[in-house]
Amino acid sequence: MVWPMPRVLPVVVLALAIVSVVVLVVNSIYAVPSPISSVRIGGFGEADYYASQPIPNVSPGLLVRVFLINGSSVKPVNAFIDVYANAPSGIVHVAMGYSSTLIVPFNNTNWLYALGKWASLGIPFSEYNTSMLVFITYIHGNESWILPLVIPYNVGWVYRALGKSTPSDATPRYIVVNAYINVNELRPSRVVPVRLNGTVTDPQVFGTYNGYTVYNCSLSGPQPEVYWSFPLYEFAPTSECVGINGSLPIAWATWSSGVIQNDNGLVIDLSIDFSGTINWDAMSTDYGDLGTSYSASENWGPQSAEFILGSQVTQPGSVYWYYGGATWAIVNYTVWYVGDITGPYYMGTTTVSEVLYVPPNDYYAATFDYGSGPISMFYNGAITLSEQYFGYPALNASTVVDYAAFEYTPYGEELWECNGPVGNTSTVFGGVQYTLYTVTLGGVNTAYGLSAAEIGTELGGLAFDVLAEVATEGEATPLIEFLNNVGSAIFDIAGLLIPPSTSSSVTRTTLGIGGVTAGTSLYISVINASAVYGLPTFGFILNATNYYGIPSSFTCKYNQWVQIG
Amino acid sequence: MNVKSLFWFFVGFVFVNFASSLWLLLSSVLTITPIPLPYWLLYTPGNIVTAGIIVAALMLALYTYLGVALVLNKMNRGFIPITMVIAFTIGITLLLVRQAIPALVILVIAYVMLIGTYIVITSVTTSRTSKALWGVATIILALMPLILIGGGLAVINYIRYMAITEQAMAIMASAVEAWRLGVEQ
Repeated sequence: MVWPMPRVLPVVVLALAIVSVVVLVVNSIYAVPSPISSVRIGGFGEADYYASQPIPNVSPGLLVRVFLINGSSVKPVNAFIDVYANAPSGIVHVAMGYSSTLIVPFNNTNWLYALGKWASLGIPFSEYNTSMLVFITYIHGNESWILPLVIPYNVGWVYRALGKSTPSDATPRYIVVNAYINVNELRPSRVVPVRLNGTVTDPQVFGTYNGYTVYNCSLSGPQPEVYWSFPLYEFAPTSECVGINGSLPIAWATWSSGVIQNDNGLVIDLSIDFSGTINWDAMSTDYGDLGTSYSASENWGPQSAEFILGSQVTQPGSVYWYYGGATWAIVNYTVWYVGDITGPYYMGTTTVSEVLYVPPNDYYAATFDYGSGPISMFYNGAITLSEQYFGYPALNASTVVDYAAFEYTPYGEELWECNGPVGNTSTVFGGVQYTLYTVTLGGVNTAYGLSAAEIGTELGGLAFDVLAEVATEGEATPLIEFLNNVGSAIFDIAGLLIPPSTSSSVTRTTLGIGGVTAGTSLYISVINASAVYGLPTFGFILNATNYYGIPSSFTCKYNQWVQIG
Repeated sequence: MNVKSLFWFFVGFVFVNFASSLWLLLSSVLTITPIPLPYWLLYTPGNIVTAGIIVAALMLALYTYLGVALVLNKMNRGFIPITMVIAFTIGITLLLVRQAIPALVILVIAYVMLIGTYIVITSVTTSRTSKALWGVATIILALMPLILIGGGLAVINYIRYMAITEQAMAIMASAVEAWRLGVEQ
């Protein structure tokens, strides 16, 4: 048998081996981009963060790529890409363009303006992460799709990449965002010709309400150039930003007038305890949770607020723990397409609610709200506000969990446990010994239904999900070994699988109810505001005759009852 | 011993590693440059996993070839790579059907068999350089899990460098052996 190319082949093999080894080494020292983190954005986007040595002719920054998914085909597609930067008190319009890719370097003037706002706070960059807000508008025929994307980042990374502070291997230099427009799954808007009205009417919502300042949060910073193309047309985006500045509750308990009348002498104890990084997620009207718009290290020691209904508290209201001086924004984004001859067309609109800023490691003691505080604002104000401003409720319906109830029956006083066990401890308050029935919600992640930025990818993510699942069971070791042997590229995954070191450590909130006697009638519901506002905050709602919202039916999942007294 | 069969194993080993390195280099640099790219060329975690699975499949095919070639040459140690391939295949299948615990047990066996395979390769190489490189690679491969278990995730960077060293040695050892088998015999 004669071997093909008997002399040349070994030479080629040796050359290829040398090249492979060089690439391995280059990759291992971050000389080429290496992913160090990845975040999934809803079901329609992914942000990947790459550490790298400077690559010639590629400025460090944000790169947006747009892909069209139609059936099994995934290909780059042109779309109108519009980028905003979140600042502590508002949003700054950074860049726009019509293309399948848009690069926004960190040294973009408008982005630097927003970064300057963060730097001027004087808070160490490691204490918090902010985000960019990206809107993608894709048009096909007379249909259009607008995707909102939230891209978390750290101001410190940008300053390091720009050489303004000490460079480091392990911080991202390039942020690549892949947006997936799945025309089979996402609902389009209809493109319609309109007459553009030049005058914008002030909706008259700006002012002070319930201790909140509501203001226009589109910062009057530098503006990007209008995007024009030939033949002459323009994409005209408008963004209305309503800023809400005030206190941001982390946990609260609300009692109705029925409770005041029926349950005189009841002791209420609201305790909270956690330390670590808290994520505030952005919510969108059409796409739900968009991921974390702001995160900061926060620290609450074990704290509790305890009082007696009827003597210390005599009217319906709420007690709450909160952050002071926080800012959240409702951004309404609309795009028009203006052709030279054809006139303007309406492309669609989307609304995003996001937290812009919460002071790190800053909290305030429990405070009462008797109808003019932030909890009242939650129940009544925010939805009303968005309806008034945008003409429809910007925020989703609430999630209420029916938790537990004390009921007085012909057989005596009973405790019904519907959503997990209700513990009991003994406490002395005001010189009196009480049995305190405790409803404890677990870790921030499970209780709020939010987690640290979810690791994963939208496409080809099956295997990755499996890997992540194994890793999260704390048994990644042999798997990582295996990965080590199938190619060094896989190493980067091993890095991604390591949970962030800043995750929350102690995380629990407890509502204690004391002074339960024969005749007590109390229904405890839990409202998870993360589903409503994207805020990791929730409240216990106490009613005397039924669960919150008077549900016609409810499921008692845990379904345990205890005879009291 | 029919050296021709092993020649193609070593050539294949280098080619597969080269192809994955090339994809890695091209995709990592192109991904951050503002030019439109097909989705599969993006250096995203999902694609990296896909590439890893393809590379793993090709490597397993090569090890199967190695095992069969050895067995056909009346060398029973060829059953070690064959066992390793079977164990890895079962382990990955279990992972895909989300049977994490049995998968891990099988993958640990597969890993031990992989170390065995390296020892087998070390024993059948004909060049002294190649034998030395495979030998050191085997030792690194055997040490990595011990160090990781002892040091936890804090030593992940050392493990990373060890694995890169191990891989570079295996690639060079294969090239040297292919050279020896192809040119000198």
